Amino acid sequence: MTTDPGALNTYLPTLIRYILVAIGVGVIMIIVYRVQIALGVKREAATGRALVTPWVIGFLVFNVFTIGTSLYLSFTEYNLFRPPEWIGLGNYQELFDVSFGTLESREQRSSDVLARRHSEIIRVEIGDGGFVFGARAASFWRSMRLTLVYAFVSVPLGLAGALGVALLLNQKVKGLGFWRVLYYMPAVLPAVATALLWRWMFSQSGIINTLTQPIWRLTTNEPPRWFTDANLALPAFVIIGLWGVFGANSVILLAGLKGIPQELYEAASIDGAGNWAKFRHVTIPMLSPALFYNLVTSTIAALQIFELAAFIQTPESVGTFVNWLIYQEAFTLRNMGMASAMAWILLLIILALTALIFRSSEFWVFYQGQREKA
Amino acid sequence: MTTEATTLRSDPLLQEPPPPQRPFQIRQALIYLLLILCGAIVIVPFLWMISTSLKTPDQLFTGRVDFIPNPAVPRNYIDVWERLSSVAPGMSFARIIGNTLFITILAMFGEIFSASLVAYGFSRFEWRGRNLLFGLMLATVMIPGIVTRVPSFLIWRELGLLNTYDPLTWPSLFAWGPLYVFLMRQFFLSIPRELEEAAIIDGANVAQIYWHIMLPLIRPVLLAIAVLSFQANWNNFQGPILYISTPQMFPLALAMRFFDQSLSRGEAPQWHYMMAMATMMTAPVLLLYFLAQKQFIEGLNIGAVKG
Repeated sequence: MTTDPGALNTYLPTLIRYILVAIGVGVIMIIVYRVQIALGVKREAATGRALVTPWVIGFLVFNVFTIGTSLYLSFTEYNLFRPPEWIGLGNYQELFDVSFGTLESREQRSSDVLARRHSEIIRVEIGDGGFVFGARAASFWRSMRLTLVYAFVSVPLGLAGALGVALLLNQKVKGLGFWRVLYYMPAVLPAVATALLWRWMFSQSGIINTLTQPIWRLTTNEPPRWFTDANLALPAFVIIGLWGVFGANSVILLAGLKGIPQELYEAASIDGAGNWAKFRHVTIPMLSPALFYNLVTSTIAALQIFELAAFIQTPESVGTFVNWLIYQEAFTLRNMGMASAMAWILLLIILALTALIFRSSEFWVFYQGQREKA
Repeated sequence: MTTEATTLRSDPLLQEPPPPQRPFQIRQALIYLLLILCGAIVIVPFLWMISTSLKTPDQLFTGRVDFIPNPAVPRNYIDVWERLSSVAPGMSFARIIGNTLFITILAMFGEIFSASLVAYGFSRFEWRGRNLLFGLMLATVMIPGIVTRVPSFLIWRELGLLNTYDPLTWPSLFAWGPLYVFLMRQFFLSIPRELEEAAIIDGANVAQIYWHIMLPLIRPVLLAIAVLSFQANWNNFQGPILYISTPQMFPLALAMRFFDQSLSRGEAPQWHYMMAMATMMTAPVLLLYFLAQKQFIEGLNIGAVKG
């Protein structure tokens, strides 16, 4: 524990530097403007460029430079104390040191391929045989699996739930403002508080086990241990995630629903369309830009879960959310190089998924009379 | 269905009740039932948090669900700070709230001010490379924070500013929130050009136009962003956990983690204290949300509907 320098000594220097930086940013903007004018750039263009300069600086330092550094570090071994040591693809080799194997019989607990240093990540048994997937960096792939499965389950469920609630709210209900405010509340709650609150509710003698007592009493006499049971941890996380987002997403979708012109429904009625046909051929296409936006943002958010993992411990066999795992690799274990390699794999997965969603949008997202891209 | 029913009923010429009255009523009842059910799912955890924060330790693990604490102990809210001070002297309520507010307010002002300037530059002026840079800015949303975290930490370490509030405050002056720039740009684009042109003819310079014409016009979106930004910075956990290591300097989010790890370990987690802290951390954002809910919800909708 470091010593406390006192309130004033922590606030004042930062405040002074804050003001100096603010002045500096202003000066740089003026210089950027003057230089352009001197070079004969039109005043309008010079002003525009000068105005976006703060972002450009931030982008270069906090995005371009950091991403470049991260890529470089991912090819090194670095623990803060000695300078980074170039090891080429070493980190990636260790991460991708994986093996597949088939199970010949049920008894074959650890098949040959996993015998030495690989531990099992996924095991599927079909009849007498089956297959098994193992890796040297088992905790990374377990966490990656948890994170990806979490995203694949919670994002579609959350979107469907949000759409359902938005459709309900669109039925000319009384007190719309009240419902909107109510449903949006979980999104305001600090992630830290959400994590602690749900850990308490899911704890062994917590409210959820008390309320569901009649159900689990049927099978066992033991209350379920949500976060330590390999089968229950994921459902518990999904429940927390759904609680957090479905209300906020439904408020966004509701605004989209309200924007659908009534004439379209009337025209559909005249053509003899039933409720389902209207939903399928009017509501969904018209709402598709909002659904698309929601899909992209919630996928990215689901792959970046951090606080839940920081406050809720799960056993090694379950894994944790990959962002928290990477954080620990970097700042608890001080393997900055390995952590960077892991982060890059995550980045590539996020980019691939986003690209996939964007690609698919050509087939299902409908922009009304606009050529503008989302 | 619904539209037909309501228009028919409100039409004075058709006094006779229409035949589909009964299914309509059942339908309405069903809708409200579902809405109330969803509402209960949303609200019960909140109520449980507040209820727990007012309980004595022996009311925590009773095996019953009691929402009304008996006896209720509001002293938990004071005691939790005494417990924290007993571990780290000087970790008082005032200090921790002060830390949180210091970070939140500086970051919020930096964010709003820089984002509005950048959005102004991206929307009201024509220059080559504008769309390319704007596209790049939107693309940065996809970069997971974890990728830039190690290098950012190394930068601040190099600058000798670890364990200060600098990494959490003044980088906001460089428009670190692309979403806010995007929201404001959408708003700027909707302002008619004539207003600016008239001002230019009157001899106003860019700073004057920005300050006297643009800022008042974008006030609704500024307020929305202020609210969103306050919430995001107040709730921030990933930044402080990386940079702040002295317990007395912790913002609320880290103080909660500190309590969880140092005082609530072992057989009997002190949920009444932790829920008291959670309630304290939630109260200001929730209050702000209730006061400015219109801005909150609109701010989000601009992004979604126009995006």
